Amino acid sequence: MSEAYIGLLVLWPLAAGLTCLVLTSPGARSALVLSTGIALAVGGLAMAVNAPFAAPSALLGSETALHIAEGAAFVLPAYFLIRGLLAKHWLVIVFALGQLALAAYGAAAMPHAALVQNAAVCDGLSLALVLVVCFAGSFIAIFALPYMRRHEEHLRLRVSKQPGFFMILLAFLGFMNGLALSNDIRVFAAFYEATTLCSFLLIGHDKTEIATKNALRALWMNCLGGMFLHGGILLIQQGHGLVDIHEIVDPAVWAGASMLPMALLALAGCVKAAQMPFQSWLLGAMVAPTPVSALLHSSTMVKVGVFLCLRLGPVLMGSTTGRVLALAGAFTFFAASALALGQSNAKKILAYSTIANLGLIIACAGLGTPVALAAGVVLLVIHAATKALLFLCVGDMEQVVGSRDLEDLRGAVQKAPTTALAAAAGALGMILPPLGMLMGKWAAIEASLNNPALLVLMALGSALAVVCWVRFSGTLLAGRSASPSAAPSSILTSGPILGLLFGAIGLGMAAPWINALLLPGTSALAGGWGLIPSLFVTAMLGWIIGMKVLARQSSVRLATPYIGGLPSREPGTFVGALGKNWTLSEGNEYAEELFGEPRLTRVAGVLAGALLLALVGGAII
Amino acid sequence: MNLTTFYLAFAGLVLAPLLGGLVAGVDRVVTARLQSRMGPPLLQPFYDAGKLWSKVIPPASHWQGLFVRWALVASLASDVLLAAGADVLMCFFVQAASACFVAMGAFCGNSPYSKIGAQRELFQLLCYEPVFLVAILAMCKAAGGFDAFAIMAAKGPLLYKLPLLIPGLLFVVLVKLRKSPFDISASHHMHQEVVRGVYTDYAGRDFALLEIAHWADVTVVLWICSFLWATGPLQMVAAGLAFLFAALLIDNISARLTWRYMVKVVAPVSLFLATANLLWLYLE
Repeated sequence: MSEAYIGLLVLWPLAAGLTCLVLTSPGARSALVLSTGIALAVGGLAMAVNAPFAAPSALLGSETALHIAEGAAFVLPAYFLIRGLLAKHWLVIVFALGQLALAAYGAAAMPHAALVQNAAVCDGLSLALVLVVCFAGSFIAIFALPYMRRHEEHLRLRVSKQPGFFMILLAFLGFMNGLALSNDIRVFAAFYEATTLCSFLLIGHDKTEIATKNALRALWMNCLGGMFLHGGILLIQQGHGLVDIHEIVDPAVWAGASMLPMALLALAGCVKAAQMPFQSWLLGAMVAPTPVSALLHSSTMVKVGVFLCLRLGPVLMGSTTGRVLALAGAFTFFAASALALGQSNAKKILAYSTIANLGLIIACAGLGTPVALAAGVVLLVIHAATKALLFLCVGDMEQVVGSRDLEDLRGAVQKAPTTALAAAAGALGMILPPLGMLMGKWAAIEASLNNPALLVLMALGSALAVVCWVRFSGTLLAGRSASPSAAPSSILTSGPILGLLFGAIGLGMAAPWINALLLPGTSALAGGWGLIPSLFVTAMLGWIIGMKVLARQSSVRLATPYIGGLPSREPGTFVGALGKNWTLSEGNEYAEELFGEPRLTRVAGVLAGALLLALVGGAII
Repeated sequence: MNLTTFYLAFAGLVLAPLLGGLVAGVDRVVTARLQSRMGPPLLQPFYDAGKLWSKVIPPASHWQGLFVRWALVASLASDVLLAAGADVLMCFFVQAASACFVAMGAFCGNSPYSKIGAQRELFQLLCYEPVFLVAILAMCKAAGGFDAFAIMAAKGPLLYKLPLLIPGLLFVVLVKLRKSPFDISASHHMHQEVVRGVYTDYAGRDFALLEIAHWADVTVVLWICSFLWATGPLQMVAAGLAFLFAALLIDNISARLTWRYMVKVVAPVSLFLATANLLWLYLE
């Protein structure tokens, strides 16, 4: 039975993507994307009903599947190598060759390991990723339909590149589901490489100079990550003869053994999750059309990295490797939050905030206790919904306003009311109780009470994020309330945005139960989690009172601006010295002397790099 | 949740803002005496709030009423959480939400002073939040639990284990009470360069509610500070008052600092001290 769901989750998106390439009419494409969204939602829910399970699967674990996976280990790096050679990009060439060498060594020197008994395993963590991909990913793909049409109108393309775009987009979702469910580490690695391929193609989609450059940067970094992954896998096969992921993450296997393979796998996760000092590929990814950055940041690429680290959690618990990984994650949380604070580019704010929150999840993975891992999964799910929402909102506002700079988006609520309000709500959802992100952060902080360095870094990162998001939403709302004259947006635009908004808030409400599902044997409302329902009731009370006041106040005449009693001839100006008319303008303080990107990136990059080196070095010694 | 918790929560809801109002009254009397004035009656803040409530003034933004009410709800909720003996960390986050709403409302205003105040308010948040959070975590660690009751039930005064928290907590109290030298976002006296900063655009009934929210915040902050000597209710009141008087004294003998100085010097130093104290708890 599970085989059918796996087919629906993995093969359907691949097949629909390929069909997109054949049926190039926009109507057929919309139908395909919408039907894929529905298929994924159905498959994801069916998976949730059946989970947890461990079953043999011909799709993910047969002899043929394994051959394909082993072939992919050669074909994909070979393709990367060709692209590197064509672009004369040395780093891509070197790391792709490295991957090929590792693949060749694996094929030649490793004994042919037996097939994995249960090739498809769906536990809480896998299910979380599958649901994120199925829902957030589908919403983004649907949002992409009107967005890409406008995007191409804007670029004045003669031949539409949308068939190829949607093929990769949909295939990406299928690969992600495969990655979440596969229990054979060789198949997992093949899917890992496939996501590298997809992100490379998607980032470079616009074929501009900067897009190509950033795509190649993403490629070399992820090839490096692939080398770490393959290196780790080879060491595991050599040392323990294991390929079953759930056998590998059994702490008993690692008692007294070298943790180097674990460190390498964690490092591969850190690269994929764009942890400092590898953050630049994710920042570069924002040159791609908005659906791509939303997909890379919220539900796919980066989630592979944290998924991998969380998977290793049980082994990392209490080990030096785990402690260093937690420290590296918490440091990235702090440093990336600080970098986000100094940005006025709205997409960069989102990107740095993504990196920061992934750092927080990786810190949870490094701690490795069941409570910390559950907090990490809660963060993973809710971050996906919230961040997908924010990316789609910023993308839509960018198309309406014509800029992605926060200063230009000031008062966006007047031009794009639905989107701007959803963005403000999403921004507050990143920081305010009782919404999910804050609850996850709270659980992470309480889980790290035995590690003071983590506590301090998390306290700092949390305060930085609060300031960043309050400023973000305050800037969007600045000025008068929504005017009814704003142009209505397409249902395919507002639908996903509202769906994600409800998802983000609903998941926040459900957070105690998600947490309890991941921690069998505990009651959902134990400890501080029990406060959530009453906090939600309070929040709803506040919502009702606030909305009544808003309704009353939005019809009244506003006071004239207080400008210290200076005379004013027209709104927004005052009469100053020599009777001259001065226009009032406003802008946020980004405190660049403290949070300036170039210097902070350098300092934080060196420190984070040292931590990652310590991760590997500590495991070797 | 049993009936006692419910009574305690209800008492927190009603009494905490009243206590905060009294603190504001004490503040004005003591400040006046320090300046050789008589000062207003103790209950003057309540009369002021009543007067503000009676005024109907056009708002500066359509959003402000909404954010004021949200701020009030969050502030009262943080009081209730503390009174019911809930997780102190969560109480801190709920209280921070209230501060966020105040800043949001100021962002939406139309006066330039309000907007400058909002920016400064955010930098104040940035400075005191980590210090306050680390201080609370140190208390939790020293007391061995995250609940307010667990901290209050700790054996002996926590101050002996946590002396270095005092500068940090004093900084937090000064910021939260909007006292000099850290009344950076809402300058206390109206003739100063940012008028009333973050409060400039709030008026009439909205401002009265905001005052009540502020009182509730003051109670939460002083209450958490009093955990340092939580051997009994009287001792806690004394500890809270000690923080209050120290803050009033500093307010009267210092001039306002710039936000840059706060971000670059004061916050790092107090965070460093609090962190040092936190670290040594692990060495015991």
